[in-house]
Amino acid sequence: MIRTTRSGKAIGVLAVGTAVALLATGCSRGGGSGDGGDGGAAASPGITDTTVTLGVTTPLSGGTAGPGNCTVAGLVAYMGAVNDAGGIEFGDGKTRTVEIEAFDDTYDPQKALSNFQQNASDVFAFTSGLGTPTNRAYREAAIADEVPQVLVMTGDPIFSDREESPWQLGFVPIYQNEGAAFGELLAESGEELTVAVLSQNDDYGEGYVEGFKEAIEGSSVEIVKELTYEATDTSVDAQLTELAATDADVFFNAMSITPLVISAIEKTKELAWSPSWFLPSNTSSPTAILGPAGADPAAGFYSVSFSKAPQSPLYAEDEDVKTFLAALQEYSGDYTTTPDFPHCMWSYMVGATLEEAFKNTEEPTREAFMEALRNIEGLQAPLMLEGTEINTTEDGLPAVSTVVVQKYNGKGYDSVEAFG
Amino acid sequence: MSQTSFSPDLTAAVTTVPFQRRTPWWVWAIGAAVVLLLVVAPLVMDIPTNQMLARVGVFAVAVLGLNVIMGYTGQVSLGQIFFLGFGAYVTAYGVQQEWPILLTFVLAIVLPGVAGLIVAFAAARLGGLAIAMVTIALPIIGVPLAKRLSDLTGGSQGISARFSDAPEWSGLADDQWQYYLVLLIAAITFVLVYNLTRGKFGRALAIVRENENVAKAMGISPYRYKVMAFTIAAMIGGVSGFLYMVVVQYTSPETLAFHHSINLLASMVVGGAGSIAGSILGGFYYVFVPNLTNEIAPTLTALIQGIILLVVLFVLPGGLASIPHRIRRMLRSRRADTDSSPSHSK
Repeated sequence: MIRTTRSGKAIGVLAVGTAVALLATGCSRGGGSGDGGDGGAAASPGITDTTVTLGVTTPLSGGTAGPGNCTVAGLVAYMGAVNDAGGIEFGDGKTRTVEIEAFDDTYDPQKALSNFQQNASDVFAFTSGLGTPTNRAYREAAIADEVPQVLVMTGDPIFSDREESPWQLGFVPIYQNEGAAFGELLAESGEELTVAVLSQNDDYGEGYVEGFKEAIEGSSVEIVKELTYEATDTSVDAQLTELAATDADVFFNAMSITPLVISAIEKTKELAWSPSWFLPSNTSSPTAILGPAGADPAAGFYSVSFSKAPQSPLYAEDEDVKTFLAALQEYSGDYTTTPDFPHCMWSYMVGATLEEAFKNTEEPTREAFMEALRNIEGLQAPLMLEGTEINTTEDGLPAVSTVVVQKYNGKGYDSVEAFG
Repeated sequence: MSQTSFSPDLTAAVTTVPFQRRTPWWVWAIGAAVVLLLVVAPLVMDIPTNQMLARVGVFAVAVLGLNVIMGYTGQVSLGQIFFLGFGAYVTAYGVQQEWPILLTFVLAIVLPGVAGLIVAFAAARLGGLAIAMVTIALPIIGVPLAKRLSDLTGGSQGISARFSDAPEWSGLADDQWQYYLVLLIAAITFVLVYNLTRGKFGRALAIVRENENVAKAMGISPYRYKVMAFTIAAMIGGVSGFLYMVVVQYTSPETLAFHHSINLLASMVVGGAGSIAGSILGGFYYVFVPNLTNEIAPTLTALIQGIILLVVLFVLPGGLASIPHRIRRMLRSRRADTDSSPSHSK
């Protein structure tokens, strides 16, 4: 501990005061935006006649850094190529290049809000950021300041509710969409199927089950048993034993925890129960989960997706994939040059969606941008699977709400038309 | 390290009032100027700066709470963020249930305080690392608990509470109102802790920190003082949680994640352990450095923060608050040099 004499304290206080004073220097309060409204709409912050600046607040360090870096990498890759080609011609006739400023929030809600507050005056729109709590943390501030917070990577439905979130739009499918896609596949089969459900006891698991139930309503598909587990559980053996006793045809497993999924696959084999499986998109990785768990493709492992998998041999020669990988190599060195997480592909699609919106932005204002963004229909962004599209016109749904059901083939996934 | 120089009379530290010099006039002048500056500042500064300063206030209080238990009492606590999160949740829930804001504020202090007291009963019996382990458990239990009690906490999607918008009559903008609210509550908390640590209570804590056997011999129960310090730290954590909601207006299980506790600890050490000014500087560090590193290189934030932390610890082991002390010592030794060797003109 330091010696605490009064004058020492005073010097300490003086140091703080000086720091405050230094901060105060140069910042004078005055209405920065909104003035100069002579003829036509004044340009919003973050946009000039030649550039537009996008902000991304996302985890670039810490536990979620992997997917977080990907949410910037794909976007930077897409816009890098666009800028090299001259930029985007906006709806007002001016051609602008796109600058991307990334901010690290380490998945901390407080830092995400801080990033928003410190930079909202230089950024035209915030986009592509990953995380439900972080995006939620500045949602209300974005609404209050009328700053777009669009195409964000969260399955939380609130971002796609127009009444609650007038300046927001989610990008990735909400949990319900995924559950519903699989439910529809089962319902369409017309077979009499029994389903055992295991879900995580939170909004994640509930979302999947809700979508699934809605889709199978009135069909010949029947849920015979429904159990839950806690996200903190280290084993679900008890639940699996109980579910195996039903000997259901299908096992709907809304689980978000990688090791639990692996042990669940192994345990069911032990119990001699061999249902068809449904796994959520984020816990269905062929290399990280199904392979290590020794999943038998013959049992039928289903998941959903809307993006092509660059690692899959199926798409090795695909034009989109080749362009994407090359762009990632060339422009995204600061973040990641290999698409380790699907978020890399997703943020690449975000780039394409933003380009489409910018082309239709009639005035250099945030209002005009939001209007253009909410008006995209049937856009097939690069890397999207056939049967999926960007549609921003429907209230309550994120930009991508269609997913394709896929089946594990031992190496990767193939799209399937029918169950069985 | 101790502020009490050792004398043969072991009870001197508690029984005698420390020698105090008369405060020179310029200390008061500077103090008044700083207060004036803090009060006038938000009226002239731009919105992001005010918002940042308000956040500094929030985390300065959080670091202050940690300082009470760690800096002044010497007990390792890695659970401080839990009390901040608890206070934030209580505030958010109170606002949602439309309780009077004063009641919410009081509960946001009392409930974390009670939680702190209960934990302290167990933790304070243990020594050293065992206390650290018990306190680690708090945020580790807190996160899944916050997710599980979704009726109260909003689950993993968190809970928003907008209650700190400027009222009409104040004529202030939202950011100014929030700044003043934080300034007022933080200032009161700091004054209370300042008085607490300089009085008999503070001196007892210092003895407990330095040597528990000596404390016992003097009739100071280390257990009792540790429990009290822990409870006070938890209550201050609750205050910072309330302020967190004033400024951030949103909380989620992520708010009380364990690694934030480590960040608070780092901020306390960088600011200066066992020092009031150090807590304020710690708040600055907690808020300002991530912003700064984002400006330098957003992908290298963790690395740069690590380097800053190491540099501060190497150059100033006593934290930023020890700078004046360092300067004074340097001046004194130079003066001593010139006094003792007047023949050598430099």
